[in-house]
Amino acid sequence: MSQTIVHSGAETHTGTAHHHELSFFHKYIWSEDHKTIAIQYLFASLFFLLIGGLLAMGVRYQLAFSGQPIPLIGSLLPRWLVTDAGAIQPQGYNGLVTMHATVMVFLVVMPLLVGVFGNFLIPLKIGAPDMAFPFFNALSFWLFFASGIILLSSFFVPTGFPAAGWTSYAPLSANGAYNGSQAGQSLWCVGIFINGLASIAGAVNYITTIINMRAPGMKMFRLPLPVWALFITAILLLLAVPVLSAAAAMLFFDLNFGTSFFEANRYGQPLMWQHLFWFFGHPEVYILILPAMGLVSEMLAVFSRKPIFGYKAMVYAMAAIGVLGFVVWGHHMFVSGMNLMLSSAFSFSTMLIAVPSAIKTFNWLGTVWGGSIRFTTAMCFALAFVSMFVIGGLSGIYMASTPVDLFIHHTYFIVAHIHYVLFGGSLFGIFGAIYFWYPKMFGHMMNEFWGKVHFVLSFMFFNLTFFPMHNLGLNGMPRRIADPSLYDFLKSSQPLNIFVSLSAFGLGLSTLIFFVNFVYSMFKGPKAPRNPWNSTTLEWTLPSPPGHGNFPVTPTVYNGPYEYSVPGMDQDFLPQNQPAPEAARVAVH
Amino acid sequence: MSASAIAIDSVPHKAGPNVVRFGMITFLASEAMLFSGLICGYMVLRAGAGAAWQMPEGLKGGFVLVKTIAATLCLIASSFTLHFSEARLIKGTRYGKLLLALTIVLGTLFLCNQADEWRNLFHEGFWFNSAGIMGSCFFVLTGFHGCHVAIGVILLIASLIRALTGNITPTKHGFLECTGLYWHFVDIVWVFLFTILYIL
Amino acid sequence: MSFWRSSFARCGLVLTVLLAGLGTCWADPRTSNLWWMPENASEGGVYIDQLMWFILFLTGIVFVLTQIVYIFFIVKYRARKGVPATYSHGNNRLEIIWTAIPTAIFIGLWGYSNHLWWDVLHSTPPANSLQVGVAAYQFGFSFQYPGTDGKLGKAEASFVSNDNMFGNDPSDPDAKDNFTSSVLEIPVNRPVHIRLDSKDVIHGFYIPQFRIYQDMVPGRMIDWVWFTPTKIGKFQLACSQLCGSGHYNMKADIEVVSEADFEKWYQEKAKAVQPQPGAKLTSVTETKDQ
Ligand code: HEA
Ligand code: HEA
Ligand code: CUA
Ligand SMILES: [Cu+2]
Repeated sequence: MSQTIVHSGAETHTGTAHHHELSFFHKYIWSEDHKTIAIQYLFASLFFLLIGGLLAMGVRYQLAFSGQPIPLIGSLLPRWLVTDAGAIQPQGYNGLVTMHATVMVFLVVMPLLVGVFGNFLIPLKIGAPDMAFPFFNALSFWLFFASGIILLSSFFVPTGFPAAGWTSYAPLSANGAYNGSQAGQSLWCVGIFINGLASIAGAVNYITTIINMRAPGMKMFRLPLPVWALFITAILLLLAVPVLSAAAAMLFFDLNFGTSFFEANRYGQPLMWQHLFWFFGHPEVYILILPAMGLVSEMLAVFSRKPIFGYKAMVYAMAAIGVLGFVVWGHHMFVSGMNLMLSSAFSFSTMLIAVPSAIKTFNWLGTVWGGSIRFTTAMCFALAFVSMFVIGGLSGIYMASTPVDLFIHHTYFIVAHIHYVLFGGSLFGIFGAIYFWYPKMFGHMMNEFWGKVHFVLSFMFFNLTFFPMHNLGLNGMPRRIADPSLYDFLKSSQPLNIFVSLSAFGLGLSTLIFFVNFVYSMFKGPKAPRNPWNSTTLEWTLPSPPGHGNFPVTPTVYNGPYEYSVPGMDQDFLPQNQPAPEAARVAVH
Repeated sequence: MSASAIAIDSVPHKAGPNVVRFGMITFLASEAMLFSGLICGYMVLRAGAGAAWQMPEGLKGGFVLVKTIAATLCLIASSFTLHFSEARLIKGTRYGKLLLALTIVLGTLFLCNQADEWRNLFHEGFWFNSAGIMGSCFFVLTGFHGCHVAIGVILLIASLIRALTGNITPTKHGFLECTGLYWHFVDIVWVFLFTILYIL
Repeated sequence: MSFWRSSFARCGLVLTVLLAGLGTCWADPRTSNLWWMPENASEGGVYIDQLMWFILFLTGIVFVLTQIVYIFFIVKYRARKGVPATYSHGNNRLEIIWTAIPTAIFIGLWGYSNHLWWDVLHSTPPANSLQVGVAAYQFGFSFQYPGTDGKLGKAEASFVSNDNMFGNDPSDPDAKDNFTSSVLEIPVNRPVHIRLDSKDVIHGFYIPQFRIYQDMVPGRMIDWVWFTPTKIGKFQLACSQLCGSGHYNMKADIEVVSEADFEKWYQEKAKAVQPQPGAKLTSVTETKDQ
């Protein structure tokens, strides 16, 4: 370990006498610069977003037009996925759902939040030249990329995608005779294991960097909220991911080597898979939301021109979510056949974990209150995040109540919940953050007009797609059903399914606007100034994009992260590295 | 991106030994969760299997126990030899390399015993896919741990090479220290595994 | 730039409302509850619906209040020339209030939920309950009735096999006269106590009209589910746990009939079964037709 650090530190940074040019390979492929790695993560996960989205389009197509051949490409698709005529078949549908969720969770939202913004922002925001272990940082990206390729490669095996859901409940997942996609499921296990290694490498880096490499004056309680959020997220990753790795390993052995961890008739325990999976899975969903909360908090403060309301409460709330997140996993298993007493207990802890989310919501309202709000695209997404998260969070309360979960468990009500927190929450936060930090990453501004168009359309189509899913769920429509029209009690809701699907296509198309804007701006966008949003945190004191090694002179930090509109100052923001002027009346807190 | 060369006067951009240590300990927390997951699974399965939990003959006999205890002692002893070797190598006093080599030998002995045990069990017909749930658990736990020991031995050899080429100095010993932390961790895990697999 | 003057925002809102309306009209030729829960048809469901409505009002109020305040702030505090933002880092009293109140609400909600969970939904099944064994397999359900003696007999998950899907204890004479059916036929207004098991993978026992869900887990005999149907009619049992390639079509019919009709059906079925000694208690033939 030490060797690599010495290597990457010494020779490339000092560059006093002779300027050490990095080779193409070291600059773009195996780069150990955290900013480049962040951008590698960004490109890769946006690519995976396209794939995950396309799979979702397949899902929605089938639910609206089951049995009808997919236009244009139907006949080109492999036979595990479609019939000879080109219509999606049930097993293929299960594969689509499984991989849609796997891609979105492990290859899109997690890397976008942790890989992209974790890498890009942590060193810049705490005033460090790079991550503590640049070698492992680069390794993390390539492991992640490999895991993506491995997971998706099951598209090309004859039995196709894994088809047991992203939760891969055993014993279905543990036996090729049951699930019909032994190869795909095995690739899933391997992919998830490698993905876990990438996450752990990243997490170790973030924790070490944040604890050890802050610039002078950057006390823990002066850290910008995204850094706090990523710090807590990294701890969750560190402790939750290995449990999934262990479970995936056992599943792999069951599948391929005849062990019987999850095989009931050979004394294995199917429910053990669920406990292990959700012990990881629930912290995972907070891994998917906490960084977004941090990013959104910052954008709300910047564009309201106000200090964040209740900074410490925000930090404590996130810490509480982190701790409680480890004791609520059983709420996914209320009706799984586990002991009823446990359901009671997990219901209680789940109710408690909603409290810190409530605290955060109210503090966001407090931040907007009394502000001077600028409606940039980034801000629009951040504002929408709060509303969408509240909807998704409140629907969580229904499920946390055990009797109600008896009715809505495993229906589209859950699917609605998932997408409100993950798309309306995490992904909206991510979109906002991309608009916000794009100038710093690429040195160009993104187009605001098309940004707004993207925002309005996705906001609209998002709600039209996912809100009716609550109703579908209440109507009794189970998840993961390839053809709802086969059920008498679902016949009436078929029109609603078609409506949802058309909205989903709209949502897909509006996302394309974002992609075009993203690529176009990289070449044609106006040059970005150092600090386009008049922001206080350290990354904005650097050129856009910052040079290799980040800070020419180590900054000294004098203030908290969000000193906006300080009375007595000429400008309405006080950068963290500037001592407050005599006249400014900075509140001590 | 734009690689403008700038003189860096900045916070520790070379992670010093302390930072490396910190990182290693963080990583070991993750490893601990990996084994916790496996061990919890083991306990649940064992509790659930009841009478179907069959210890194979090859793990019962007194001789096997003696052998395994000997291997366990090897591993524990290797932690001590490594500890003293580390201190000496860093200070540059004598016998550091010798103790490190001894550690490698002890670790290898442990691995050999493990391989031998697996071989015996195999001949007895007790294998991960043929010995019921106890077999699944036994081989996965010892297998995961064995892999860790093997990686540890490789790290120890790498450290020894560093020591021999003069790459371990009072200011440069992060690698050695991390190897040490890792090795102690692997030892502690074994103590747990030994207890639940052979004694309880 | 103001939010409301922003033509984007206006377009978005108007379009959302329009399209939502369009969706409604288009979906209009509906036959039953398109927008809401199917009518409840069990005793316990009444309580679940009450709780559901309670949470709906609770979260509805919270949602409307927070959104009104939020939108009001967003509009009121949009950037205007010469109006600086308020410089405030927060307010500890507010923090305490908005921590304490939700905590109290959530603990109360848990109390309410938990009361239902134990005292209504999982109380001991009444003595007059009809016992039915439910077995799931890839991809179908089968039901077992107690036969003339009214007793299902003992069962254990470890006995479950291809020949003995319900896991009946071969040594228990009570099981000898059991008969099976591929339809879940149950009398109205009499508690039904079901015993669930699965032969291969996890399946789901889900009847939305009864507000009931329970996973059927291989290796586990689940015997705590009971319900009382309150409406005569035909329903559908849907497997709602992903169980493989046939999951999408794994279902069974449920017929809730009057006590008299049920008695007739039951006697006929029971007569057809000759108590037979030996292990093969349950014929799988009837269920193979899936
Ligand atoms: C980002 C991801 C994310 C987040 C943040 C959450 C947040 C929450 N989730 Fe969610 N959840 C998922 C992702 C997420 N979930 C996913 C992916 C699944 C499905 C997995 C699968 O099966 O495939 C799932 C499933 C799931 C279940 C299992 C359902 C089932 O399968 O039957 C439950 C049950 O309790 C649950 C509960 C909650 C709760 C209580 C919260 C809370 O944290 C929410 C708290 C927030 C609020 C409550 C809103 C704001 C608060 C206020 C405005 C204050 C005042 C409010 C009141 C007084 C009511 N979730
Ligand atoms: C971060 C997580 C995330 C995200 C972003 C999404 C995004 C979407 N999801 Fe997904 N979803 C999950 C996580 C996520 N989902 C999870 C965890 C499950 C549970 C799975 C399980 O049960 O195992 C699930 C399940 C799930 C289901 C339930 C399937 C079932 O149970 O049978 C459905 C059904 O409608 C669905 C739809 C969609 C749609 C329409 C989108 C859209 O938002 C996607 C929008 C599209 C893009 C962003 C891509 C960009 C556009 C193109 C590539 C081109 C456009 C092309 C055309 C218009 C033709 N999702
Ligand atoms: Cu059986 Cu789904
Ligand atoms: Cu959860």
